[in-house]
Amino acid sequence: MINLASKDIRHSFAKFVVTAMGVGMLLGIVLIMMGVYRGMISDAQVLLDDIGADLWIVQENTLGPFAESSRIHEDLKDTIKADPSIDKTAALAFLNLQLPGPDGKPTRVYSVGYDPYGDISALNPKRLVAGRTLRHSHYEIVVPAKLGLHVDDKITLGRNVYTVVGTTKGAVSSGGEPTVFFSLKDAQELQFLYSNARIRNDRARGLRTETDNHLVNAVVATLKPGYDPEQAARALKRWKHLSVYTASRQRAILTKNVIETASKQIGMFTAILIAVSSIIIALIIYTMTLEKIKEISIMKLIGLPNVTITKMIMQETLVLGLLAFVFGNLFAHAIWDKFPKRVVLQLPDAWSLFGIVLVASVAASLFGVHKAIKADPTAAIGG
Amino acid sequence: MHDTTTGIRIEGLTKIFGSGDSEVRVLESASMEVKKGEFAALVAPSGAGKTTLLMMLGCVLKPTAGKIWLGDELVWDENRWSIPDTRRIRREKIGFIFQAHYLIPFLSIAENVKLVPLANGWSDKRADAKATALLEYFDIGDKRDAMPAQLSGGQNQRVAIARALSNEPQIILADEPTAALDMQRAVNVVKMLRKIVEEQNVAVIMVTHDERLLPYCDKILSIEARKIVTKHQIPKQIV
Repeated sequence: MINLASKDIRHSFAKFVVTAMGVGMLLGIVLIMMGVYRGMISDAQVLLDDIGADLWIVQENTLGPFAESSRIHEDLKDTIKADPSIDKTAALAFLNLQLPGPDGKPTRVYSVGYDPYGDISALNPKRLVAGRTLRHSHYEIVVPAKLGLHVDDKITLGRNVYTVVGTTKGAVSSGGEPTVFFSLKDAQELQFLYSNARIRNDRARGLRTETDNHLVNAVVATLKPGYDPEQAARALKRWKHLSVYTASRQRAILTKNVIETASKQIGMFTAILIAVSSIIIALIIYTMTLEKIKEISIMKLIGLPNVTITKMIMQETLVLGLLAFVFGNLFAHAIWDKFPKRVVLQLPDAWSLFGIVLVASVAASLFGVHKAIKADPTAAIGG
Repeated sequence: MHDTTTGIRIEGLTKIFGSGDSEVRVLESASMEVKKGEFAALVAPSGAGKTTLLMMLGCVLKPTAGKIWLGDELVWDENRWSIPDTRRIRREKIGFIFQAHYLIPFLSIAENVKLVPLANGWSDKRADAKATALLEYFDIGDKRDAMPAQLSGGQNQRVAIARALSNEPQIILADEPTAALDMQRAVNVVKMLRKIVEEQNVAVIMVTHDERLLPYCDKILSIEARKIVTKHQIPKQIV
């Protein structure tokens, strides 16, 4: 039997391909939305993974630096290290900054302060694309390459001038903002030290300004082999007036408490887009069938069985769905890196979308098939 | 009683559209027969029910009452189709020719002709040979790979006749097949149908308004007062 679907597609090839491209772009946007969702989840874990700590020690009754304000004393890192289960510790400071770019335009960044001579580094050396990690206790900064700054560029922040010693790629905060790295001392100063004007003003008001810049936002620790993180966390919590979270709990706090609402929003938007895409695919296939209703009536009039006509509609639908899916993937892969925040395109997501498109296409073609089966053969001759 | 020479036969055929005040009676207890190897013209004023009759004979439209035989098969028995698949009857026994060619625009000329035989389960080789023979018979063998849009109206009408013959039908139902053609081409089409009737022993009913084409027919069927009146004649010989 002649493959009617392939003949019809060949006959109106350009129109068919343009339609598939249109649907494909829609599917591409769905893929990008899925990628944005995955990107949020992925970003949330970058810093956790780079630091690689087993325990996060934060201010008592707080959820830690990513969810709530937390201030603890820096020297706790030494106290905690005295515990027999602890291998290494480090004190970390986190703060948001507006970093002046090369064109003077400020960019919001997330700053991480760590001790360059400490046991645990917050900066994963694998993320460096130029320069080096911090080597000195002062006036060095590592910035994301996409900010446009280069090694040896100078940045003035607060009272001091910092030299860019390295640039990174992929270092982001839990919110997806670019992350810069300072020494712990510089980060403490930037976070806790008031400006000279503020100190003078406080003195004029009779206030005694005491700035304790030996505070940090969290202490992280790694465990010696054989120690259970949950048990170690419980012991430290009981022993000190602190909140202690294991890496998995901290990860859960990040994904559940911090980005859950945002990711739900993106998820909802993605679900709506998928529904809209399905409806559009259904409408396109229905319209394509309506355009052929006269030919379908002729086929019925000359005696072609329903199965031949149904096969034609179904095959065209599946080819359209498949082609749209391919175009959608090409489109998504062409534009994903143009987005300001991370977009993670994953193969399982693409296959899920393929399944949805397949089901939506087949369901949509049923409307067309119904219309075709109901078509009056006499409509072909207007009688 | 049924006889083996029957091409098309109707008995007491009635068709009523609508009901109550909007009831329209098109045919009432109409009877007629066209034997195999006979060429009948169906003439009647517009709106008399010519196309309705043709659609009932083609198993597309349900009659209200009566009986229809196509060849040796009773297809409509008073109030129901007596065959499970009316489309099979159309596919296997009937060839349709219309005023316009109604070819499938996305199929080539040869594919249009092969479509029904292939749907009847013919092998591609057999269907192709049949299509080639028919297209050459109608002098359009060189156009087999062209699309309908690339052919003239007359050429497409010849393809439509070739398609109607492709399934080796016992019956051809032609609804004003010459209406869109000039006189010379119209006569050629009718001569062609006459030739097919004689060579292939098929029963043909052709709806026409053109009296100049009637001499080529064996009988003239007319619808008068919702009945079918049959007039026999000696057909004009074709040279």
